[in-house]
This record gives sequence, C-alpha cells and structure tokens, in this order.
Amino acid sequence: MTVVPKELTQTSKRSQPLLDRLRVVVGDDGLLHQAEQLLVYECDGYTVEKKCPDVVVFPTTTEQVVEIVKLCHEFDVPFIPRGAGTSLAGGCLPIGGGVMIALTRMKRIIEVNYRDRYAIVEPGLVNVHLTNHLKGSGYHYAPDPSSQGACTIGGNFATNSGGPHTLKYGVTVNHVLGAEVVMPDGSVAQLGGVTEDSPGYDLTGLFVGNEGTLGIATKVIVRLTRDPAAYRTMLGVFETVSDATKAISEIIGAGIVPAALEMMDQGIVSAVEQAFHFGFPLDAGAVLLIEVDGLEVAVDEEAQRIIALCTQSGAREVRQANTQKERLLLWKCRKQAFGAIGRLSPSYCTQDGVVPRTKLPEILEFIIACGQRHGLRIVNVFHAGDGNIHPILLFDERDAEQIKRVLEASDEILGKCIELGGSVTGEHGIGVEKISFMDKLFAPEDLAVMGAIRDCFNPTGRCSPGKMLPTSAGCGNEAMPRIKPGRRAAM
Amino acid sequence: MTVEFTPTTQSELARFVAENAVGDKRSLCPVGGRTALHYGFSTQEPDTVVAMSGLARVVDYPARDMTITVEAGMRMDELQATLATERQRLPIDIAQSGRATLGGALATNTSGPRRFGHGTFRDYVIGISSVDAHGRAFKAGGRVVKNVAGYDICKLLVGSRGTLAIVTQVTLKLRPLAETSALLWCGFDSFATIDRVLERLMTSDARPVAIELLNPASATLIAASSRCALPTDLPVLCLGVEGSRHEVDWQIESLRREVAPFGVKSSDVVSEPEAAALWQALTEFQTCADDPLTFQANVRPSQCVAFIEQATKLNVAIQAHAANGIVIGQLPESAATVNETTVILNQLRQSTRAGGGNLHVLHCDPEWQPLLPMCGEAEPAWPLMKELKQKLDPHGLLNPGLFVEGALLR
Repeated sequence: MTVVPKELTQTSKRSQPLLDRLRVVVGDDGLLHQAEQLLVYECDGYTVEKKCPDVVVFPTTTEQVVEIVKLCHEFDVPFIPRGAGTSLAGGCLPIGGGVMIALTRMKRIIEVNYRDRYAIVEPGLVNVHLTNHLKGSGYHYAPDPSSQGACTIGGNFATNSGGPHTLKYGVTVNHVLGAEVVMPDGSVAQLGGVTEDSPGYDLTGLFVGNEGTLGIATKVIVRLTRDPAAYRTMLGVFETVSDATKAISEIIGAGIVPAALEMMDQGIVSAVEQAFHFGFPLDAGAVLLIEVDGLEVAVDEEAQRIIALCTQSGAREVRQANTQKERLLLWKCRKQAFGAIGRLSPSYCTQDGVVPRTKLPEILEFIIACGQRHGLRIVNVFHAGDGNIHPILLFDERDAEQIKRVLEASDEILGKCIELGGSVTGEHGIGVEKISFMDKLFAPEDLAVMGAIRDCFNPTGRCSPGKMLPTSAGCGNEAMPRIKPGRRAAM
Repeated sequence: MTVEFTPTTQSELARFVAENAVGDKRSLCPVGGRTALHYGFSTQEPDTVVAMSGLARVVDYPARDMTITVEAGMRMDELQATLATERQRLPIDIAQSGRATLGGALATNTSGPRRFGHGTFRDYVIGISSVDAHGRAFKAGGRVVKNVAGYDICKLLVGSRGTLAIVTQVTLKLRPLAETSALLWCGFDSFATIDRVLERLMTSDARPVAIELLNPASATLIAASSRCALPTDLPVLCLGVEGSRHEVDWQIESLRREVAPFGVKSSDVVSEPEAAALWQALTEFQTCADDPLTFQANVRPSQCVAFIEQATKLNVAIQAHAANGIVIGQLPESAATVNETTVILNQLRQSTRAGGGNLHVLHCDPEWQPLLPMCGEAEPAWPLMKELKQKLDPHGLLNPGLFVEGALLR
C-alpha cells in the first residue's frame, strides 16, 4: 500500500525551511512559490482537476534533481516531474501538492551520433527542436505527437507518446535505447545504453510510459531513424463514415502498412476548413488522410493500390498532394485540428480509446448513437490505422446538465472500447483521468503485479502519488471526483 | 531429482505454482524447445522442469487486425506457418525454429539478421499472460496495437529468461509477408575497406533489412551450410533486401552501384528460392557451434569492424549484424583450455567495455561455466534488477541463480 505523504501547505511551518534549502540548490531564479506564480502549474492539458503545487523548481542539472528529491524525502513531501504540461490525462497534476520539478531548463542536445544512430538529449528538449536539429542529415526521431511543437522528450518518455506515424514506426518505447533516471530515492540509475542490447532486464522498456511513478528521466538516449526516400500523401473523400472505415479495413487487410492513416469526419472537416482553407469538401461524410513512404520506386505502386481500394470502398474521389507544400498543409490541418474546434463549440472533451482495427465501424456507430442518446454533438479526428479513436464531445461548460451528459457519454464510449477488446488509452496515458478504468481493464492480479513494481522502485509513494494505478480504498489519495470535463487540446 | 510437469492450461499451471509457493518451494525451470537452456549461466539443477509444450494453441487470430494471440509453447515454425496462410509474419529470425517455442524465443530475446530492418521482440509483443512465482496468473498490455494503460510488463518479460514469471500466452503485432527477398554478398580486400562501405551505406538509396559482416572463418561455415559460394579468404558483407520484385531488383542494383567504388573483390546476388538457405545459415550461426564457446558482444556499430578485426586475429569465427553492433563469435577449437578461453574473452571484453558495450557467453561446455568470466563486470542497473527480482519472486523459485542473480556473482 502506498504511503501518502503529508501535504505541504502554504501555511505549514515546515515550508519555509524547505524553500530555503531548495533555493540553495536551484538559486533564486530557479524557484516559484507565490500563489499567482503557481497558478500556471495547477493543471496540464487536462483541466478538469486542479491543484497547485506548493513550489515549482527548475533544476538545470541531474545533480540538482538529486538534491531536490533528497530534500523532498527529508521534509516528507511529495514531488512530481513536469515537462511542457501537455498531458491530456492529468499526468502533471500535483496530487497532495508538494514540489513540482519542472525540467524545461534541461533542454540540451548532448550528443548526436549518426553513425551509431542515436542522440542523447535532456528531458526538457522540445520534440520538434530535435526534429529541426536533425533536418538535412537523412535521419530523424520518429515519434511525432501532434503536440510536438510544445511537448518534451522527457514527457514523451514518461507517457510513451505516439502520434500519427506510429502506425508504421511505433511509439516512443520503440525509439528509446536508454536513459539516466533519478530514482524515487534520489539515486541515479543508468538504464540501457548506446548499444542495442544490454544484458539484464529491459528496464528501459519498463520505465518508458511509467507516468513519472518510477523516477525522473534526466537524460534520454533516443534512436535515430533513416528518413524515407519518398512520400505519397493522399486525401480520400467519402460520402459516409462507414465507407471510410471500410476502406481502412481493406487497406490493412491487403497487407499495406501506410506510414499514417488518419480519419476526420464531417464535423471536424468543416472546422478545419474554416481555419486553414485547404479546400476540403464540406459535404463529405468523412475524409482519410493517408500517407505511404518508402522507396521512390515503390510508393507510386502502393499509392495506386490504396487509391483503388478507396474507390472500391465507395470513395467519391482520392486526391494526391502534388507538392511538399501541399503535403505539409494537409498535415498542418490534421495536427492542428483540435485548435479549430473552438469554431464549433465553447468547450470540448476528447477521449483516447483504442479498438481492434476491424471494430472501427462498430465503435463509430456506437459513438454516433451515444451522442444521439445523450443529445450531444460528437466529432471525430483520429489515428484510424491503429484503431486509436479520439471522439470529441462538444458542450458548453456553463451548462451543468450538459457536463453530466458529457461525462456519462465519455464513460460509455471507453466502456465500449473495453468490451470490443480494446483499451482506454492509446497514447495519452492513464494519469488521473482514467484511473477509474484501470480495474475495468485489468484484473486485481494484474494490478497487484504493477503495484509491486511501483512499490519496488517507489516504496514511499512520494514520487508522483495518485497516478496511473488505483489505490486501495481508504488510502486517502484517490483522484478527486470529476466535476466537469475540461476544454482540452488534444492529439 | 528433477521432475517434469507439463501443464495444458494456464489455470493448471497457476494452481501448481501456487501450491508450490506455499508448500515445498521447489525451484521451477520453465522450458520451451530447450534450444537455449544454457543461456543465463545457471549452475543449479532445477527441482522441477515446467514443460510448456502442452500450451501451444492459437487463441485468436484476427488476421485483418494484423495481430495474433497464441499460447507460449507454440513452436516458431508452426506459428510462422499459421501466419503465412494469411500472408503475414512475425519478422524475427529464430534459430532452430523447428524446436524453439515462442515463449522460449521471447524469454531469451532471440533475434537474427533482419533485426536491422524489423527490430526485435520488444517491438512486436503487445500483450502477455503469465504466472508469477506466487502462482498468480496476470496479464499486461492487451490485444490492440497501441495501448499505454499501465506498466509495460511485456517489455520486462522479453529477455527475462523465465526468472520473473512463466509466460503462458502472447499477443503479437504482425507484419505482411514480403513478396520476395534477395541478398547481395561482396568480398572486400580488408576490414578497413568494409568500414568505409558501412559508412557509405548509412545514406544508401536502398533500405536493406540486414547488413551482415562475416570474417573468413564464419564465411567458411556459412558458405558450407547455405551452399553459397561465399569467399572464404576475405571479409564478406551480406546485404539483404525485401519487398516487391521490382523493389528488390532496384535495391540490389543501387547497392551494387554504391559499393562498386570500394573495390569489390568478388560478389554475387542470391535471389529466392536460393536466398532462403543463406538467410537460414545467417540465422542459425549463433547456435550451430561444434566449437567450445559462443558469445554475443554488443558494441557501437562504428566500433564493430575494429572489434571484428581484433577477434579475427584471435581466430574467432565472427558474424555481426553490423549496423546494429551485435556480434556473434565462436571461439576456435584451439582455445581448448579454460585459461586460453579466459584470456580471449577478457581481451575482447575490454574492447567492448571501452565503447560502452558488453560481452556475454551464450553457450559453452557446462563444466566450464563456473570457471569462466561469463558476463564480466556488473551492469550499472543490476542492483535495481536484483531488487525487482526479489520483489516479484521473493523466495527465488523461478530459475534461481540464473541470469541477473547468477551474473552478479561473476
């Protein structure tokens, strides 16, 4: 059972000595503790639940992180790492307050080694900054979450982030060779390394996606991937969502693994069109954004097969991006789709369910019916090739009754994902948001083994308390009850 | 005396392990095809061998989802044959696939030449069911290709040598079968030349799935078993490509053009169906030794050639997945004593250590095991691994003395 550390409150007599000691470690400009300064850190992309940390520190070295963690133990307060705070599941919510360790000042690219295909970076490095640094080398870092302009590699490591290109290239864990981690007890561990196979257990694989509960990554060794020689990017236009899902099934069933296969339904297309003026057909039921990559000699043939399969499945037309500029605009429309939702509704709430790919028609029908049943408008933009849905429930947060219906509908959709053999999170993580689904997805035995792993490395529970694993009843640090769904950015 | 238990269901296994955990606390050694029992340096005879061959069913194969769920005792060749009926595969090369089981291959994290293009088990296992040392049946992951709910215990169990839990069922992400494949082999005058070729290939127009480097001693063995006319007096590079016939032909031509300026001494293209024998020989090398000892070294790709040159001078037969920095070596018969073998291992290990790599023995005469430096110095994270082992298997019932525990001693 996890011990819940005492909360450090603003009025606590203990807080001043801790602040003084932290100030010695990170300096005056490395520490925030005034109430108005802390407001920014009360939540991340998941705004339903809010809680201010008592202090935010900005270390610049591994040694400072170690000192901070040791002080947290000395003063018996919880601590939590934070990157850019783009989590959509409350991964950065400081349950119990305490010390938030913001890693955004540790953002160096320490080494790039093309011959050995790795880069060593600090956790605060923004994902796209690595992409930009590698541009022109013939190599790239493959995971490209839609928030890559803001999210950090450390955050990607902690949550095992995905993105549109995971269909072919895999998620973060498939691209991490090792890490330096400050363990919950303040010791420093080296996991994995620059060589591919390391003897012993794959602790790197276990630590990726730990949601900050097993330690704080202070260096990450990432694998570099060869750039594809050529791309073909297509836009399939369909009369109905069901025609589009049929095309997805036909493409995957034909043994084609596109680099990306994304779907946007009519609701989202109209918002995106208003925002970016790409020229999307506003009367289409759904569009598929399909990208194949590979050898120049192969991509045309593959694109032709996809076009044929889309047409057979009832596509009205399949357009091809003819220039790199067109391709990038299409991707901009997709990756910033959530930014356009403000045109549809004052607030929205998105989910991150996964179903087996062949169950997409079923879950999408369920979502439509669910929306009708609850009198809610739901639009969809998601990673169709992976079966990773992101239904977006639109509402007005001033209407408490609507909020209740949104929460009910969200839970029904995720429940249906489990029923269809899927999962409640494909890439956003459990955080605090989906913690109540863990015992629906996993048996008590499964959770007991996960709990044993957490207790092994984080026995005091001071490191990221209340995250990912449900606590036994009566422990006192269950997630706060959900009052209202948030207005969220999303993938 | 060792007894054998062959469960036919997960619950039967769980019951057996649970009774053992509260009762006799006999040590348990899960086995699949028994092709790699020597991995992991155990010096103890297990009390009970748990034979997983009775758990070998396909549980669910939704081919259009490109996933399969099978029991861990299924033989690798049967698994691949099942997948081939849907023109799919698990693109990991497994030696002795007519005996090796999925569970065994996963527990030893076996891989082969195509790991450069396709990765290893950690990239394909999306769900796992197991029985822990307490007899608790548990699962992790799921049956969908993208899932971040809970700790990724799948990764932890891949390569864990049966020391944390007994894997009973696995869900795999699959890939389409390639239409065809081919290998281009080229002999070069020196290792130094090959190093420059490897550097050139970093920006090749082709996307080879395998980049294999052989020294003359291993080329001789692989030529014999594959019936390919590889040169046996030169270092050889074998480049493997896959795809449609058109893609394969185009890539082979590109590779030929790219390596030509480096002075190719001899070369040939091996296409299907003959390519199958060469792929197999490149896969089986790690287990085909009649020689006294086989090791695996993990080095940086950029240090691979220097390492192989050094090993070649010590008369070691070497096959390297060169772009991955994974080197398999077989010591010569001349290394007939523990002392001579220790000298060779220590020299080579020193080189791997200098570049942040490591070297461990895969196979040797069982009598030598207690006497040889099997694993070298402890890895920095081994204390953490040992804590984890103790947490999950507090009585040390699963393969005691093996792997992390055993390696720490030496």
